[in-house]
Amino acid sequence: MTESAFINITELTREFKNKTALEQITLSIQEGELFGLVGPDGAGKTTLLRILAGLLQITAGQVVAAGYDLNKEPEEIKPHIGYMAQEFSLYEKLSVVENLMFFADLYNVDVKEQEDRIQKLLSFAGLTEFKNRRAAHLSGGMQKKLALATTLLHEPPLLLLDEPTTGVDPISRREFWNILTDLHLNGTTIIVSTPYMDEADRCSRVGLMYQGELVICDSPVNIRNLLDGDLVKITTSDWQEAHTVLAPLAGVKEIQTYGEALHILVDSGKTRLPQLTRALKEHNLAVDEARTASPRMEEAFISLIRKMDQVN
Amino acid sequence: MSFRHLWAVTRKEIQHIFRDRATFILVLITPTVVLLLMTYTLAVNIEHVPLAVLDYDQSPTSRAFIQRITAGEDLDLYSQVDSIAEIEDMLIQGQVKAAVIISPGFSRDLLSLQGIDLQVIIDGTEPESGGFAVEHIGWRAEAFANEILADQFQIQGIPLESLQPIDLRVQAWFNPGLKPIIDLVPGLISIVLGFPALTVALTLAREHEHSTMEQLLVSPIKRTDLLLGKIVPYILVGLLNVMLIPIFAILWFRVPFQGNFLVFIALSAIFLFAELSMGMVIGVFMKSQSAALAMSFLVVMFPGFFLTGIFFPITAMPEIARLESLFLPGTHYAIITRGVFLTGIGLETLWPNAVMLLIIGTAFILISALFFKKRLA
Repeated sequence: MTESAFINITELTREFKNKTALEQITLSIQEGELFGLVGPDGAGKTTLLRILAGLLQITAGQVVAAGYDLNKEPEEIKPHIGYMAQEFSLYEKLSVVENLMFFADLYNVDVKEQEDRIQKLLSFAGLTEFKNRRAAHLSGGMQKKLALATTLLHEPPLLLLDEPTTGVDPISRREFWNILTDLHLNGTTIIVSTPYMDEADRCSRVGLMYQGELVICDSPVNIRNLLDGDLVKITTSDWQEAHTVLAPLAGVKEIQTYGEALHILVDSGKTRLPQLTRALKEHNLAVDEARTASPRMEEAFISLIRKMDQVN
Repeated sequence: MSFRHLWAVTRKEIQHIFRDRATFILVLITPTVVLLLMTYTLAVNIEHVPLAVLDYDQSPTSRAFIQRITAGEDLDLYSQVDSIAEIEDMLIQGQVKAAVIISPGFSRDLLSLQGIDLQVIIDGTEPESGGFAVEHIGWRAEAFANEILADQFQIQGIPLESLQPIDLRVQAWFNPGLKPIIDLVPGLISIVLGFPALTVALTLAREHEHSTMEQLLVSPIKRTDLLLGKIVPYILVGLLNVMLIPIFAILWFRVPFQGNFLVFIALSAIFLFAELSMGMVIGVFMKSQSAALAMSFLVVMFPGFFLTGIFFPITAMPEIARLESLFLPGTHYAIITRGVFLTGIGLETLWPNAVMLLIIGTAFILISALFFKKRLA
């Protein structure tokens, strides 16, 4: 951990009444990073983002973000961050422009610049032609873009986005991420939580959270390389039967199921693939598809989480 | 304090009031409608109470008496009966609400100045009409007796002046119907203006439910600006009511307006501030609109009925209730509305109530600000 990091989290613990939401998190994020937070529901992603936004009290540990000690100055950091809550949190009875004006006032955006900035953000988010529409009547994707636009009004150096694309169609998701990439290139520090692995792949660094702990934190490439070995994908007529057949074979480290398909982690794809298909045929299982593939982050994470569960 | 933040919240809230049908109705329509409804249900003039009469005297005087008590709009002669048993039947079946039994010596006693003996039986399950009947039969009997006796005295040459005191007293009291409405309406105004307070209690909960609260809390707005920004718009629409309702009371219910209208508006604004701050305290603690609604009925509406002296005199309350009524904005406002409407008193008399309202309002605002955290739970 370096002193110059933009965000320094040291042994952060947050407890709720019956639950420890965050346990001894230590993490530092550099200025300009596009940092992805992934992990299953209830892992603590939202709690971490809310603490960074000054919305939740810290139970133990220290968090310094953008130069503010969040134990002492949770209010002072607020003008310097843009925070987007997981649920749609704008005023449905107000139009797109009225929502933007409301938050421009709250964030003390310079009155002379306000009009200009709103126009720019409207076109940036592709909402110009909908600017007089009530927020309630926007599509899910447009609502998310409007929410993002309101967090950008005061040009904050730090953006905290809590699952901004959950429940959004794939095209809107891609548009949203193109906007994020632009912001990233302009030097804004962004922390974004997401349940989608393809989105995590677009981050400069990814942290995997599980049961309140930060399991791993590295670049997408390094996380993929954590998987020691090759991946074999097999689709058969009966995946449950196939699972029991393949699991005890030599060289098979781990099997993950994806619907009908089995993703099998083996020590060497080249040597094991023929052995696996042969074993299946011996048990009269029709093999629809069998090929080697390069491991994705998804497999890496599931593998990591399984290992953690075994330890516990 | 940032006026920009205050105005931003106020503006947004006004937009909400005029765009959300439920809020609009609750804030701007309900007070007048409820005033109408409550006035008619609570101050309803009891009329045409059916009576049974059992006349044991059967004299010209007793027949004149029966005619006399049933001559008005208040009491109707349902049936003349021959036995107590018949009266009982009629009462049980609800055909009559009261019965008058005239004793055998009625006319003799009356004329010999012995005092008349009248028995009135009422339906105890409906004490309002029963009590009303007793009261009205009493008035009529007194008037009737006075008349008969006056004739009698005149014949005997006794000066009439000796009867005046009784006569005057009866006259003074014999004014049924009109008085309750006039008395009630100004008091009811303080209850119906509780509806904007109820809405204020809901407005914070609404932000919680729509998770817009999260976005507000994460912004740099100060909590006092946020709370005041939510109260100011409701004071403004509350004042619309304050102008609408007296017009209604004056034109529709013919309630006199003796005082100064500007003083009334100013004092009403102070009352709204106090009442809405009370609603805000509820809003700070209740995270859902339904809980806030239930709580404001418990804390704002019910005490408004029972503890502010509108229906029950404060002096007759136990000490704890008296103390509590002192901290209810409605108590002071009821004094103000009655004073301004009925007796025309102004600030020279009402200033202690105005000061008390200011103290209550400020105290409630401070309590809300103290307990409203700019953090999530």
